Amino acid sequence: MQKAFGKKSVIFLFIFPAFLIYTAFVIVSIVWAGYYSFFDWSGVGEKVFVGFKNYIELLTQDDVFRSTVWHTLIYTVINVAIQVFGGLLFAILLSRIKKGRVALQTLYYIPVVISSVAICQIFTKLLSVTPTGIVNQVLSFIDPSLKLMEWISNPQISLYVTAFVEAYKYLGLYMVIFYAALIGVPDELGEAALIDGASTWQEYLYVRIPYIKPVIIANCLLVLNGSLRSFEFSYLLTHGGPGNASELMTTYMYKQAFSSMKYGYGSSVAIMIVIICMVVGMLFRKFTGGGDDE
Amino acid sequence: MRKMKKVLSLAMTAAMTASLLTGMGAVTASAKKSDDGKRTKITALLKGTESTEQYKTFDYLLKNFCDEKGLDYEIELVNDMQDYFTKLQMYINSDTLPDIFGCPNGTLSKACKDIDALVNVGDELERNGYDEKLNGAIRDFLTDADDGNMYLFPQGLYCEYFMYRKDIFEKAGIKDAPTTWEEFEEDCQKIADQGEIPVIVGGSDAWQLMRYLSFSPWRVTGSEFIEGYQAGTDSFSDNESAKYAVNLLSDLGTKGYFEPGFASVDFTSACNLFFGGSGAIFYTGSGQISLAEEMYDNGELGFFPVPDTEGMDNMSTNVPVHAGFAEGFNKATYDDTMQEFFDYMCENFTDACYNQAQVFSPFNEELPEGLPQLYYDTQPMFEDAETAWTSWDDKLDSDVMTKIVDEQQQLAQGIIKPDEFIKTCDSLVKK
Repeated sequence: MQKAFGKKSVIFLFIFPAFLIYTAFVIVSIVWAGYYSFFDWSGVGEKVFVGFKNYIELLTQDDVFRSTVWHTLIYTVINVAIQVFGGLLFAILLSRIKKGRVALQTLYYIPVVISSVAICQIFTKLLSVTPTGIVNQVLSFIDPSLKLMEWISNPQISLYVTAFVEAYKYLGLYMVIFYAALIGVPDELGEAALIDGASTWQEYLYVRIPYIKPVIIANCLLVLNGSLRSFEFSYLLTHGGPGNASELMTTYMYKQAFSSMKYGYGSSVAIMIVIICMVVGMLFRKFTGGGDDE
Repeated sequence: MRKMKKVLSLAMTAAMTASLLTGMGAVTASAKKSDDGKRTKITALLKGTESTEQYKTFDYLLKNFCDEKGLDYEIELVNDMQDYFTKLQMYINSDTLPDIFGCPNGTLSKACKDIDALVNVGDELERNGYDEKLNGAIRDFLTDADDGNMYLFPQGLYCEYFMYRKDIFEKAGIKDAPTTWEEFEEDCQKIADQGEIPVIVGGSDAWQLMRYLSFSPWRVTGSEFIEGYQAGTDSFSDNESAKYAVNLLSDLGTKGYFEPGFASVDFTSACNLFFGGSGAIFYTGSGQISLAEEMYDNGELGFFPVPDTEGMDNMSTNVPVHAGFAEGFNKATYDDTMQEFFDYMCENFTDACYNQAQVFSPFNEELPEGLPQLYYDTQPMFEDAETAWTSWDDKLDSDVMTKIVDEQQQLAQGIIKPDEFIKTCDSLVKK
C-alpha cells in the first residue's frame, strides 16, 4: 500500500481531479476576469478594448476603491483578532473546564452551521432601532438615549459591526480547531512546567501556545484569506453603506460589475483583489516563516 | 506519449461533460418542441417568488392555457433584483431567452431590442382589440423612448399614494391632508411634537428614498428633468424642482421626520411598521391594499396623492401610475401557440389581476364586485391618467443610478449637505 502511494502515477491520479477543478473554476475565472478588465463592457452588447484604462482609473482616480482597500484591511484585522485570538481564548477556557464542555462547544459552534443570510437577518433584528431591537432595549436600561443607537446605519461604526458579525459566525470554528490542537499537547510538557514552578498562565504562554504555533499561523492565514475576500456580510447587512462606509473591495467589485453594469471595470477590481490577496498572503508567510518550522 | 494521450482523453471527457451541461441549460431556456416540430412547453423567467404578483398572474394564466392545450409550462423565478438582471443578461448574451420574461422598460429592454428579441406588444394589442382598453398612463409608461413603440406587456396597474393614520392626524390637530410639500413638512412637525413618528420609510431599499427625490421634478417637469440630466442637458443645480427635491429629502431625513434608523429598514419592514401601528404617514400604493384593507375599512386610514411643489407649475396628474416590472415576449419563439396564449392572456388578464394577484388591471374594465373598498375609492384617482410615473431607475444609466443611491442615503442621514449632493450628482454625468 505504502509502495503504491510512492508511485508518481498514483500521486498524479489523486492530484489531477482537484487540479482540473481548481484550474476550471479558479485559474480560468481569473484569466477571464483579466481579459475582461481590458474592455469597456456593460455585460450586454459590444466590448470596446481600452487597454489599461480601467486600471489607471482605478489606481489614480477612484477614491472609493482606495477607501475600500483601507476598509478591507481594517475588516481583516478585526476578524483575525476576534476569530483567531478570540477562538484561542475560548479554546483555552474550554480546555480548563470539565463539566458541560461538550454542551458549550456545541453551542459556540452553532453559528458556524447557520447560513450567513440567516445570521445577518438575526443581527438586523437584534440591532434594529425601529422597532427597538433587543440590544438597544437592553442598553436603554443603562442609558435611555441608547435606545436610538444606530448600529447598522451609522457610518462611524457600520464597518466594525459588520466585521463583528462575521467574526461571531466563525469564532466557533477556530475555537474547535484550537481546542483539538490544545488537547493534543502532551500532558508531560505542562506537568514539567508546573513542577518547575510555572503558573497556569505561564504554562499556557510558554508551553502550550508555542506548541500549537503552526496551527495558529495556519488559522491566521485562513482568516486572513477569508476576510480579504469577504462579501456576504457587508452586502447583506449594510449593502456597503451608509454611502460607502462599510464598502469592501468585493462588494465594490460586485456593485461595479452587476449594479453599475461596468463589467470591464469590475473585472479590473477583481484582478486587484487577487493581487492584494496574494501580496498580503505572501507577506504574512514571509513574516511567519512560511511554515518552514512546522 | 501514452500518458499524454490518457491526460488528453480525460480532459476531453471533462470538456464533453461540461458542454453537455451547458447544452442542457440552453434547452431549458428556449422553446421546447416535440419530434414533429410542435411546441410542447412554454417557458417563462420572472422576478420574484411564488407569492409575488407576477408569478401569481402568469402561473394562473399559463396553467389554465396549458391544461386546455395539453402543453407543459415552466416558470423560473429569481427573487433578488440584481441576480435577476444578471440572469436576464446571460440569456440576452447567449440569445436563449425564454418565451416570456420579466423586463423593465429601459437598458435591458433596449438590449433585448438590439438582438431583435421583443415582440411588438403594441401591434399585438391593436390586432386583438385590447389596445383601446389599455390605461393611457400605462401605455405612456411602457412606450419605448427611442421609437415610440410598445414592446412590453404590463405586470398590472400600480398606483402610489400616501396613507395616513387619521387618529394621529387628529391628535396633532391636522384637519386636512397636505396638498403642498410645505404643508407636508408643517404637518410632520406637528406630528413629531406629539411624540409620534411622522413618516415611515424603507430607507435601505433604494427606490423608497428616491421617490422623495423624484416627486417634485416629476410633478413639475414630467420625465423632462431626469432625461435631460442623463443626457447632460439639465442638472440638479440648474433645475429648481430638482433642487427643491434635494432640500426636501434632506429636511425630512435630518429634521427627524423619518423613523429612527430608517436607513437600515427595508420596504417590507416599513410596511410591517406602518400597518402594525407605527408612524403617521407612509408612501405606499395599490400593491399593499391587502395590508391596508382592514385598517382602512375600520376608518383608521386615509390617503392623499403626491403634494404640489409650491411656487411652480405642477401637472394635473398627482398619482404615480406605473406598470410594475412588465413582461417581454421572445420574438424568436413567438409562434401561433404563443400568439394564442397572448390573446388568452388579454382576455383573462383582468380576472387574474383581481382574483389572483390582487392588483389593478391595466385594462380599463369594470371592477368586479367584492373587492376591498380601497380599490373602489382609489380608482377614480388614476382612471383618466395619461401621464405615467417616471421611474428614475429606468431612465438613469446603471452606474449613475448606483452612485445616486449611495449619495441619497448620505443626504437623508445628514452625512452630506444638499449642496454637496448636488455637486456630486452633477459631476456624475458629462455635459
